[in-house]
Amino acid sequence: MSTILVVEDEQHLALGLQFNLEAEGHVVELAESGETALERLKAGPPVDLVVLDVMLPGCDGFHVARDLRQWGLFLPVLMLTARGHAEDVLRGFAAGADDYLPKPFELSIFIARVNGLLRRWEWMRQLQSTPGPSVRPPDRFSFGDRVIDFDTLELFHGEERLQLTAMEARLLRYLVQHHGRTVSRKEILEEVWEVREDTDTRAIDNFIVRLRRYIEDDPTEPRYLVTVRGVGYRFEPDNHSPG
Amino acid sequence: MPVSSRQRIAASIVLGSCLVTAAVALNVSWILLNWREGLLLIFGVIFFLVIIAGVVLNTIFLVREVRRNEQHDTFINAVTHELKTPIASIRLYLETLQRHDLDPDKRREFYRVMVEDSDRLTRLVEQVLRAARSPRQRLLHRTPVDLRLLVTECLDVARQQHHLNADVLKLLEAPDLPADTTVLGDPDELKAAVLNLIDNAVKYSGSHVAIEVELVALGDGRIAVRVRDHGIGISAPELKRIFRRFYRIPGAVALRVKGTGLGLFIVSAIARKHGGRVFAESEGLGHGSTFTLQLPRAPSA
Repeated sequence: MSTILVVEDEQHLALGLQFNLEAEGHVVELAESGETALERLKAGPPVDLVVLDVMLPGCDGFHVARDLRQWGLFLPVLMLTARGHAEDVLRGFAAGADDYLPKPFELSIFIARVNGLLRRWEWMRQLQSTPGPSVRPPDRFSFGDRVIDFDTLELFHGEERLQLTAMEARLLRYLVQHHGRTVSRKEILEEVWEVREDTDTRAIDNFIVRLRRYIEDDPTEPRYLVTVRGVGYRFEPDNHSPG
Repeated sequence: MPVSSRQRIAASIVLGSCLVTAAVALNVSWILLNWREGLLLIFGVIFFLVIIAGVVLNTIFLVREVRRNEQHDTFINAVTHELKTPIASIRLYLETLQRHDLDPDKRREFYRVMVEDSDRLTRLVEQVLRAARSPRQRLLHRTPVDLRLLVTECLDVARQQHHLNADVLKLLEAPDLPADTTVLGDPDELKAAVLNLIDNAVKYSGSHVAIEVELVALGDGRIAVRVRDHGIGISAPELKRIFRRFYRIPGAVALRVKGTGLGLFIVSAIARKHGGRVFAESEGLGHGSTFTLQLPRAPSA
């Protein structure tokens, strides 16, 4: 059973799709606008597939797909649109869609594509839970002009290559996974160090200082790894300077 | 798309101004060099002025053309969307009915959805055809129409279409409204005009719909239908432009509402054909708007 988010502002279409997907045994949630869809995907429980209309009021489907990918959410996205020109299709794929279906579409084709995407997603999750060195995709994260390779614990910055320690990489990965959200020192202690007693949190601060030396252009004026006074830290991968 | 068209407009303006500057420089230096040759000089100045005027006009037309193309593109996109959405929906429901054995209630619900979609399609086609008619074309069927009755009918249709009740979409009659509210005209066209105004009022009201439709007798033998909403409002510079064909107010607020840019153009064409007029008033963004359709009353028998 998979959870599918249908983002469609035309009520008739949304309800028709919901009926058919539910008949296929999926759990379906509806979102009427790009903004509500993004909020839902950011917060709530995980979704396995997004059926995304392009022409939405306000923030459109291209925008939603792009934001999802930027947040590091790689769930399958099936775009639906009234515009079927080559340039629209290309734009959809460039924004991060996995498949593209022009309206009006055949119901059986729609269902087949949804099931196909869900199948691939399921395979991918199985692969990730049983990692084999040769099949697993490289575990990398890039932001600004830097790339972190979590497999080899390396940080690349242009020609520079820097070796991270296991603990540094673990902390960095935790911050990356929760980017855009403020992470408290207590949470880091519990989740990264896996200690639950009231340990001194200064160790974390030292690690943060070190990480900043690696990933900030100016460690005294951090842009990516910002301190939230009195709470903790927040990783902001999109904060690179304009131009 | 807006960026590239803005670039195109900027490029043509820059090109135009460069050409004008070059022409003026040439003219001035020519005068400085040849100031003795009087008659020829005057002739030359006039000639150059004509060239400059030509370049300026050319630039203006170019910019207008780019704008018009842009509006055309938006229109085509909007119509594509408005056409394909109900078609896609009807097809989806038909295939759903084919695919599943549904209980009678569900089936009836799906039939209702399909009828609504085909109505929507019909309205769009009628709207596009109406807009294609020349605004100067004369009215063929000029019959006496009771405006009070017509507006009441339109309100019923709109309430049903948008699932609204009479509290949020109500009819007000001015106390001095005479019993006879007859105008001469084409009832279908007049109905389309009033429905377009009410439709717009609903569409641009957002989630808080409160619309008053008022019938007012004006002193000079005219009668007015006033549609007042408490929606997003219109800024002063846009009050006249919104009646142009394909025109849609640029910016995030209006873009949230889907439309073809034909509705108000049709209303104003219909008003003119009936010897009347339509205009918009608004106290600015966020303060709602009022549309007034004025029509001459039929001479009493």
